[in-house]
Amino acid sequence: MMRIMIIAALGLTFLAGEAAAKNIDLVTLPKRGAVQLTIYNSEDLTLVKETRDITLKAGANKLQFSWAGTLIDPTSVEFRPLTHADKVELVDTIFPGQKPQHLIWNVDSQFEGQVKVEVTYFTSGLTWSMDYVAVTDPAESAMRLSGYVRVFNNSGEEYENAQVRLIVGTINLVEKIAELARRQGIPPPAVETKYSRALKRKAVMAGIAQAEMLAGGALDASGPKEIIKEGLSEYFMFTVEGTETIPDGWSKRMIAVEADDVKFDIVYRMRSYQYGDRPVRLFVWRNDAEHKLGDSPLPDGRVRLFRANESEALSFLGEQLISYVPVKAEIEVNLGPDDLVVYETRNTSTKRLAFHFRKDDRGKEYVDGWDERQEWIDTIRNYRTKAITFELRRQWVGDVEYESEVDTTLFDYRTIQAGFTVGARSKQQYPATVVRHQGVNSRQSRITLKK
Amino acid sequence: MRSTVAIAFVAAAVLLLAPGRASARIKLAALPERERVDIQLDNDRYTLVEEQRIVPLLKSTPQQGNNMIDFSWTNTQIDKDSIQFRPIAIKEGETFRPIRKVDGQDEVGVINVAYPPGENSLVWEVFSADACAVKVKVSYLIAGLTRSFSYRAGADKDETSLTLKKYIQLRNYSGEDFGQAGVWAGFGPQFLKPVGQQEDIKMLLHRFDGVPIDKTYTFDWYTNGRLSPEKPLASKVVMHYKLVNDEKHAMGLFPLQGGKARIFIDDGRGGEAFLGEDWAQLTPLDGDMKLYLGEARDIVCTRTVKTNKRHKVQGNLFNQEIEIVYEIENFKDKPATLDIVEQINSMAREFGGDPHGDAEWEIEPRTSKEIGITYETGGATPALHVKLPPAAKGKDAKVAKQTAVFHLTIKNLW
Repeated sequence: MMRIMIIAALGLTFLAGEAAAKNIDLVTLPKRGAVQLTIYNSEDLTLVKETRDITLKAGANKLQFSWAGTLIDPTSVEFRPLTHADKVELVDTIFPGQKPQHLIWNVDSQFEGQVKVEVTYFTSGLTWSMDYVAVTDPAESAMRLSGYVRVFNNSGEEYENAQVRLIVGTINLVEKIAELARRQGIPPPAVETKYSRALKRKAVMAGIAQAEMLAGGALDASGPKEIIKEGLSEYFMFTVEGTETIPDGWSKRMIAVEADDVKFDIVYRMRSYQYGDRPVRLFVWRNDAEHKLGDSPLPDGRVRLFRANESEALSFLGEQLISYVPVKAEIEVNLGPDDLVVYETRNTSTKRLAFHFRKDDRGKEYVDGWDERQEWIDTIRNYRTKAITFELRRQWVGDVEYESEVDTTLFDYRTIQAGFTVGARSKQQYPATVVRHQGVNSRQSRITLKK
Repeated sequence: MRSTVAIAFVAAAVLLLAPGRASARIKLAALPERERVDIQLDNDRYTLVEEQRIVPLLKSTPQQGNNMIDFSWTNTQIDKDSIQFRPIAIKEGETFRPIRKVDGQDEVGVINVAYPPGENSLVWEVFSADACAVKVKVSYLIAGLTRSFSYRAGADKDETSLTLKKYIQLRNYSGEDFGQAGVWAGFGPQFLKPVGQQEDIKMLLHRFDGVPIDKTYTFDWYTNGRLSPEKPLASKVVMHYKLVNDEKHAMGLFPLQGGKARIFIDDGRGGEAFLGEDWAQLTPLDGDMKLYLGEARDIVCTRTVKTNKRHKVQGNLFNQEIEIVYEIENFKDKPATLDIVEQINSMAREFGGDPHGDAEWEIEPRTSKEIGITYETGGATPALHVKLPPAAKGKDAKVAKQTAVFHLTIKNLW
């Protein structure tokens, strides 16, 4: 239902200066022309830009703008003539005290006739999100990745045939738009000055204008249906080609990213401190040209991974939320433990040595330092029909000397890492000797690798 | 039972003219029947349902779909965001052909999906290069349709081998009646079964015949404690069937998921006796599945600490020498092996003090030569394997007490 209206009041000479006191009006209702929605996903914020044709008479004109039942920030509503702009001037804006969700623009015009005007405002209740579906081939060597944007309209207003633009990135707001909408025009706290608000709005509008220039014309709704992606300052903008109608309460999901034959790596990781006590299986690829992607960052969203089986059926492999992925950055989806890859670790012996004693006043000795030398053997068993890449990271606390005949490096001061290729249906062993300096023998908190 | 998941080919004009409130949607719809349903149970956390339907499509363009397909459900918990519409093939005559590319684009595809407010439904806008009937798969994740595994082990009378049957149990409390559905667990056969609402269906996934049994008897003092105040030196001897999930032991086809295992034994008279049940743990390939059978009453073991001696090393540092003697009686008429598990860390705490991590220890010479020692769960938990002969035959024959000694030093305690 359309609730946002511009009313051009008739009999202006009678209403001038006392419009707010009148309860019986005779008005015309200029129809909404093109609408553009710029929706931010980091905040509940949408910039609405609409154009309307109104008829002005020479001299003083009074325009009433109302938005009952919607979530518009009244402090953000702006009016701008697009035609005959040099002859049309906004004199002032009045928020009538007894009529919430209304404002009146007093417009002085040197032109008489039809004028195209632009009305912009911030609203809340329009949001969007991203999700991804990846379907691998039966051999799990490549996948088709589809990314979808879903636009939700809970704004209270129906925007018909709107151009939809979606901003990826985090912006700063000092107040929530929904909160400003609830205040219905009551001025915000003093910390937000008119000046700072004007600056903020100017900055957002400038960014949008820049994007429009890049897009080559803002409200042109012709052309093939696809989603154009382009950079915008620190943000990225997805523009849904053509127009969309999203009734109030509805949501709509559209394809935004599509790539076929995306190669990926399968990696197994054992990191008990991060993933739990079993190795997990991850699909890893990059948002770059090599992986048939990289046109734009990938916004936060849930990735659902399926495998297409030989029988045209799908198997669900798992799902994970991913955070914003910049261009060329890596994407990892954790599918959880795999029953066909087994990891075991065992301490096979413990010895204590290098004892240090302290003496009390009577000369009695007490142990206050020692070294603990342990032999460990880790075993990775791969029952899959192809070789796997296995990454091991393990944390050791304290002053530790670590030695293994297998290539091992330090990930950080307390974490060793080693990588293996474990052949199909075979196993790999990883022996290590760990000496932990205890008590006064402990002088550091780090691992020292011994070769 | 009435199906609660429906798909409708909606007259596009009618839908577009009524895009407002959910309750005001007026639909004129053709209802493509389900051709087939597949229930994929290969993921242990999610159940994927795939329906195959034949959907008639009008000629349209990727810019203007002209085909509105409404998918709705009631009283079922479908993950709305997981629903996919996958065109598979186009009907040509009496057969179907794969979908081709036209100008680099699939000739049938989804343009967008709209979600009405307050309804469990969605509307796909679909384009098709030509008017045709398309075979599509509609897939979704659903709650309330779960699977579990169970086992039935039937041992032969002399407990040397058993038949292990692995079952999958499908519980359909999803709210939907799926009719004849293909059910697949990710391994084993694919079943074609009617899956009705609020039905539990138990299906045999695989039968392993001639699986060798290793019947184990375990004595673990620090886990089970003394048997009773009257028998302060004795502890439980617990029994397990140990099966190995590998080809050598007539299994090794796939990991065995956790589930309840009921164990029966051939009673020698054409019937079976129930031995008990246990929760089988996830058993990977080459892994051991241990099924607990209960307490053995015919093998009795007492544990006596004969030596507990402290040897000073330096200052407050000492070694603790411990000698444990086990007296074991096997009242069974069959030989057996008793596995005596000792927990050296617990022993160190009992006799010496804090082991400061895993205890350091050594076997001393008085340990019985005939016992074998393994370290299945780590160096500080040795298992001593003592072979026991069968009880002497004859009415008056006495059961011999077999003695085993475990002599060790726990080193560097303080």
